[in-house]
Amino acid sequence: MGSKFEPKIHVFYCVNAFDQGVFSTHDSKNAARIQSVKMPCSSTIKDIFMLKAFECSADGVMVVGCPAGKCKRVDGNVRAAKRVAWVQKLLDEIGMSGKRLVYTASGETDAALTLLLKGLVELGPNPVKPIAQANPE
Amino acid sequence: MIVAKQKPIAELKEMLRPYQKVLILGCGTCVKTCFAGGEDEAATLSVALRLAFGQEGKSIKTEELTVERQCEDAFIQEAAQAVTRNEAVLSLACGAGVQAMARRFGKAVLLPGVNTTFIGVLEKPGLFTEECSGCGDCELDTFGGICPVTRCSKRLMNGPCGGSKNGKCEVSPDIDCAWQLIIDRLTALGQLENLKRYIPAKDWRPSLAGGPRRLLREDHVI
Amino acid sequence: MKSDGASKLKSVLTGGGFAVTAECGPPRGANAEIVHKKGEWLKGCVDAVNVTDNQTAVVRMSSLAACLHLLELGIEPVMQMVTRDRNRIALQSDVIGAYSLGIRNMLCLSGDHQSLGSQPEASNVFDIDSVNLVHAVRVMRDEGKDMSGFALNGAPDMFIGAAENPFADPLSYRVVRLAKKIAAGVDFIQTQCVYDLPRFKEWMRMAREEGLTEKVYIMAGITPLKSAKMAQFMATKVAGMDVPEAVIKRMSGVTGPAALEEGQKIALETIAELRTIPGVRGIHIMAIEAEEQVPELVKAAGLLPRPVK
Repeated sequence: MGSKFEPKIHVFYCVNAFDQGVFSTHDSKNAARIQSVKMPCSSTIKDIFMLKAFECSADGVMVVGCPAGKCKRVDGNVRAAKRVAWVQKLLDEIGMSGKRLVYTASGETDAALTLLLKGLVELGPNPVKPIAQANPE
Repeated sequence: MIVAKQKPIAELKEMLRPYQKVLILGCGTCVKTCFAGGEDEAATLSVALRLAFGQEGKSIKTEELTVERQCEDAFIQEAAQAVTRNEAVLSLACGAGVQAMARRFGKAVLLPGVNTTFIGVLEKPGLFTEECSGCGDCELDTFGGICPVTRCSKRLMNGPCGGSKNGKCEVSPDIDCAWQLIIDRLTALGQLENLKRYIPAKDWRPSLAGGPRRLLREDHVI
Repeated sequence: MKSDGASKLKSVLTGGGFAVTAECGPPRGANAEIVHKKGEWLKGCVDAVNVTDNQTAVVRMSSLAACLHLLELGIEPVMQMVTRDRNRIALQSDVIGAYSLGIRNMLCLSGDHQSLGSQPEASNVFDIDSVNLVHAVRVMRDEGKDMSGFALNGAPDMFIGAAENPFADPLSYRVVRLAKKIAAGVDFIQTQCVYDLPRFKEWMRMAREEGLTEKVYIMAGITPLKSAKMAQFMATKVAGMDVPEAVIKRMSGVTGPAALEEGQKIALETIAELRTIPGVRGIHIMAIEAEEQVPELVKAAGLLPRPVK
């Protein structure tokens, strides 16, 4: 039939979470499917950015914050994690499965990424993709 | 402020199903402060609804606009053109705002996007609690600033009831017994005498029970 | 069958006697046989029988109707009225209606919140509270006027009761509330069932100190425990109930018929103790769905025979 499904992931990451402020992953195979967006703090990643990522044909979204206790703005990473939990519930309500969205701390990114990709292969591609392309807004 | 909660996506979908072009109209006052229907929430909901319909292969065109308050004509006038160019308006304002919209735009389909609940305060970040039910005859001076009409689940004037335990209401462990709070507060203020006299049955005429209310300020009618 | 005009409960209490009342919960249906059956158990061993009003916010045969069934059996009822389901218009209407049918005693309550009952989606009324109701009935009785000041064509000469819970919080304020109810016009008080004697005694002491036991007849509540499970349930799931560890322990040590016996034993010990407390003028037995236990209990407590009218 068609080619094997290779999930596309949008990563929103905090500039302070990585050396030189660049998102990096040790798995270059995975890296090919990632589109990353740098943010001044994980707390600036709004609900709508996560949803828009899905509307722009992402199969999965990852939000990366600084490790616990290391946020330069004190609790930005705490807020980011809470916001992700909120949007996960919203995605469930929408019918897209909150499992497509994850929060992780830098340092655990690779493991989280691998897990997310595995989950996405099971969940399948973003069901909204064709429509998102037809409704550029 | 007036506190409201956005309706579940499933319910909104059913309301919007007949329409192809929808205006999502946010309100910048009460519902903004309780994260139900401000500009941010309107934007997020817009995408969420497109995703939700996209799930079933249906496309819907959404437009977003937020006005300062939907309960004042001067502000909702700004939405006139947006209302006209859409098939339906999903208003994220409280029930008063939705009705003001319906009153102003007689030919438009007005749909409520939030469930309006109560008049309340922000007790702490993220927690809104009900404080006032608009009884029309405020007796907070008697009760040390704690309202038994709103915060006592049984509206007792001569409380507490027999279900008060450990400062909590029998209805839910999340609800403080208002009468415990009143007694504690009046005791601290040295005003417990307020409660020793018989408090008569409340006159509900000034409340909603007496019919929907009006306030007319002659000095402002020109 | 109408009452001959006087409240037997009132005459026992005003005559200085130690009164005994029990409770009858109406059925969840129109089956009057259930009321008759319960009545037969209670007849002759108590002075009057309370009939609950949609107790626990569950739809049951109305208190007024069940009271009438008891009257027909020759039993004197105490009509309980909650302010949860009816506004002042309906409440006053039922009071005068009840009196016209021969009911002579009533108990004024707020009622369990409907969220705890079988139809939590219902709205509630709470137009007035139980203290307002006591006041209203007293004015109807003593001044012959309804709450609007209208002169009634036939005043209801009701013996007015209310409930108090010495085990609910805050303890200190409970006596203030008792004083308020007395000032509003209450004639007798029935308390929540007593397991915690020390706390009850403390409440009674405070009431005596305020001179309240001179102004109102206090009847202490009694509910015989049937099992360890029941003891646990009462301790944890029933609002405003106080069951000491010692009592739970006693019940946990036994099962089956031995448990029933132990529960009865505790009840009898409690009654004996209550009779020694100055100001306690009677007991109110709430044998929930166990009305058949009452005759034996009253007999064993040495409270039979009951005075005839």
